[in-house]
Amino acid sequence: MEVSNEISFDAPIPGMSLTAELGGRPWQNKPKYSTVDETIDYYMERMSSEEFMVQLADILESGVPVTTLANTIQMASVMDGIHTIDVGMLVLPMLMEMMMMIGDSAGIEYDKGLEDPKKGEIRDSLFAKLINKYEKKVKSVDLDSVSEEVIEETNKEEVKKPSGLMARRT
Amino acid sequence: MSRQYNPAVSAYKRMDLDSLPEDKMPEKDNSKGLLSRATKSSKDNTGLDYSNPLVRVAKQMQIIRKYRDDINGSK
Repeated sequence: MEVSNEISFDAPIPGMSLTAELGGRPWQNKPKYSTVDETIDYYMERMSSEEFMVQLADILESGVPVTTLANTIQMASVMDGIHTIDVGMLVLPMLMEMMMMIGDSAGIEYDKGLEDPKKGEIRDSLFAKLINKYEKKVKSVDLDSVSEEVIEETNKEEVKKPSGLMARRT
Repeated sequence: MSRQYNPAVSAYKRMDLDSLPEDKMPEKDNSKGLLSRATKSSKDNTGLDYSNPLVRVAKQMQIIRKYRDDINGSK
């Protein structure tokens, strides 16, 4: 497995988990909804409101993928202590389906976020590599000798006359 | 918009709704005798285990998918 040597600035700093009392955070307490059914009911009720639908339609229209949005909503609920992260993972596909239904009913062209946008795209590094390779090849060739050879070859081709049966007689 | 690893992508792709059996109307149990089954099994006539939360989520998704298909007019 390739390990990145880059320093991640998004990672929590050492000891960050000890900056609050144990149980002082919502996600460290008992969740409000402990089962999948309760959580589905909670989301269904929340997503059925007109305010949510309008906001969702606007966000989807602005190009935010459904997957990103569903994951963000689920994570926010985990942080608020509404449900656990494993219940959130189970409910995620249903959340996405619901969002897509709202998008469909609003007649919006939205991004599902299921396809990798960089798939099939040629990397810049590959371009640079090819250019470098081509430049090296060009530099290694003696252009003067090549041009003389080319001129000779073209002269020979000009001299050759058609000699077949169907060739025009002058 | 950054597209780092998103668990929603794999969670959604692994939901194989097409292979999920359709719901059928439950058969009426007319027997009222002493030997008739008192409790319902967690498995229905389609063989799905409803005690599994994933199955329940899949069923919910199937219903929403039907609505989506109706909206899009694909089925």
